[in-house]
Amino acid sequence: MKMGFRFDLLVFAVVLLSTPVLSDLVLTRVDRRVDLTSHIVRIASSLKVENTGKDSVSEVLLVFPERQAKNLAYLTAVSSPGKGKAKASAVNLPVENVNSEGMPPALVAYSVSLPEGGLGKGESFTFEVLAVFTHSLLPFPEKITQADTQLLVFEDSAYFLSPYAVKVQSLTVKLPHPRVESYTKLENTKIQGSEIKYGPYEDLAPFSYSPIVVHFESNQPFVVAQELVREIEVSHWGNVQVTENYNLVHGGSQIKGEFSRLDYQARPHIRGASAFRNLVAKLPPRAHSVYYRDAIGNISTSHLWGDSRKTELEIEPRYPMFGGWRTAFTIGYGLPLQDFLFESEGKRFLNISFGSPINEIIIDTLIVKVVLPEGSRDISVSAPFPVKQLQETKVSHLDVIGRPVIVLEKSKVVPEHDQYFQVYYKFNSISMLREPMMLISGFFLLFVACIVYVHADLSISKSSASYLAKVQWEEVQSVIQQVDNLINRCLMIHDKLDASLRDLSRTGDVQACKAARKHADGQLKELSKELKPLLSTLQTSPQAAQILPKVEELVVKERELQDKLMVKHTTVVECYEKKVSGREIENRIALQQNKITALRQEVDDLLDFIDEL
Amino acid sequence: MAPKAIASPVSVSWYPTLSVLMLAIGLVITASFFIYEATSSRRNRSLAKELFAGAVASIFLGFGSLFLLLSCGIYV
Repeated sequence: MKMGFRFDLLVFAVVLLSTPVLSDLVLTRVDRRVDLTSHIVRIASSLKVENTGKDSVSEVLLVFPERQAKNLAYLTAVSSPGKGKAKASAVNLPVENVNSEGMPPALVAYSVSLPEGGLGKGESFTFEVLAVFTHSLLPFPEKITQADTQLLVFEDSAYFLSPYAVKVQSLTVKLPHPRVESYTKLENTKIQGSEIKYGPYEDLAPFSYSPIVVHFESNQPFVVAQELVREIEVSHWGNVQVTENYNLVHGGSQIKGEFSRLDYQARPHIRGASAFRNLVAKLPPRAHSVYYRDAIGNISTSHLWGDSRKTELEIEPRYPMFGGWRTAFTIGYGLPLQDFLFESEGKRFLNISFGSPINEIIIDTLIVKVVLPEGSRDISVSAPFPVKQLQETKVSHLDVIGRPVIVLEKSKVVPEHDQYFQVYYKFNSISMLREPMMLISGFFLLFVACIVYVHADLSISKSSASYLAKVQWEEVQSVIQQVDNLINRCLMIHDKLDASLRDLSRTGDVQACKAARKHADGQLKELSKELKPLLSTLQTSPQAAQILPKVEELVVKERELQDKLMVKHTTVVECYEKKVSGREIENRIALQQNKITALRQEVDDLLDFIDEL
Repeated sequence: MAPKAIASPVSVSWYPTLSVLMLAIGLVITASFFIYEATSSRRNRSLAKELFAGAVASIFLGFGSLFLLLSCGIYV
């Protein structure tokens, strides 16, 4: 054969044949289906096991050669529901790695625990095993040109490697294309389209091994993420932000020679068959604010569409990915909080998928970081498979002590690992107010700074003439302001009196009008009392000399206005008491009214003038 | 007890409206605060009034800017 395969396995298989049988179990039927349609190798086996011994057995061993076991990413055993309708649905059987005694050193064993009391004498049990391997398809040749198609080699045993005797077994290898370069021909081997069938073989001893090699064509995208960092940031204000940093490589045959973009553009399926152009990520439904960028910036070659069950994102790297080529990019999206965050028994928990949303991707190292809001306590993680756990803190927007981050690390991740995991934590809703409180206190500090600046006296010399003049001027200003206020209040009372007259003409209620007059008189008297000391301060202050005449004029005019108004008021009330007609009244007060209007105008002008100082 | 979904205290679709509204109110109060600072003379100024206006303005501005951040997609 042209390839340099490790035939040591054959030798080692011969050695194995001499080891003793571990138990009295017998596999009565084994059907294996090897799926090579993508670059992830999936071996699904259906096993029927029978107990021929006297004691009941509670576990079944599965063995893999060390070479395969180091690429084993995922292993599950599920009890078959059986053909009878009475049987319950499939049950997951616990699988764990064991170091069984009497096991040859080059084998790695996993034990499958059988349900409920194990398997009694003479009983049989059927279950399915799914094993998923990464990096098990080796490109051969290792280097190809742009125009070549990619050829891959797969190695396994035609016989099911098992510590138990196997009565009947068969193996089916499913390939992506009917185009097969070569395959190991044993007895009972036949090829049907893109499927190669080995078997059935009967009555094989424990640890039987017969290596087979399949060399076939596959241009499936060979997407390997050497490192993927997923950051899941929870905000109780309504968002779960996912950011995924990919470090991708095309894990297939490396390209040799030069790359011609022209050839690739012209005939991409012939001159670039081994390359992949795009990736499809299945995001959760209602994902929003999706972005796709790298170190340079936004990458515009992406498409997004979605319905109520999913959101699909199709992204194209900046260049077609040939064997051995790398690219690094980031995708990010926001998810609605209520789809992923739940509360149960006083604890909150995040329920979100572990793996990458990209289809058929192998991840060598997956790091999932869950960033919880500041103030989360008692954090615990529940994952469906073992992961390495770390805890760190991240300081982000508006943080004081930083947010707790749970870091989960796992190597060899395949799409089967895309299961939900939970992060439990305790959180007090009051802690949500931390961020607004920070903003509020920030603004408040600004206001306090303004107040302090305005109140502070920043002059250096407290005894200079100009400083003293300024202080006096401020005093005068404050007094004038007070005068201003008083006059304005007087004017308001005038308005009220006018209003009472209007009420009188409407309702004819003389008593109410008189009461209003009395009330106004009292108020005006008080105001004029308040005004006196202010005026005397102004008269004594030298700084007020300029403004004083105007203020005095204002006070005088206001007094005059007040008098006229009172006269008018008295006249009108008297007329009403004498039941003089409305027109007559208007005639009598017309002159007064003109004077009042003119005075009011003068007072307003004076007020404006003083205000402008 | 069945798990209960947790949603944001205020519906996400309200964030832009709330932000505009609260920022507008906050800015109006800020304006009145500065007008008061500039027009009243040193002797007539009341510290309590200033602090009250500042506090109210900063509450509105604080929540307004929080909702502005949230509606921009910066989930704090």
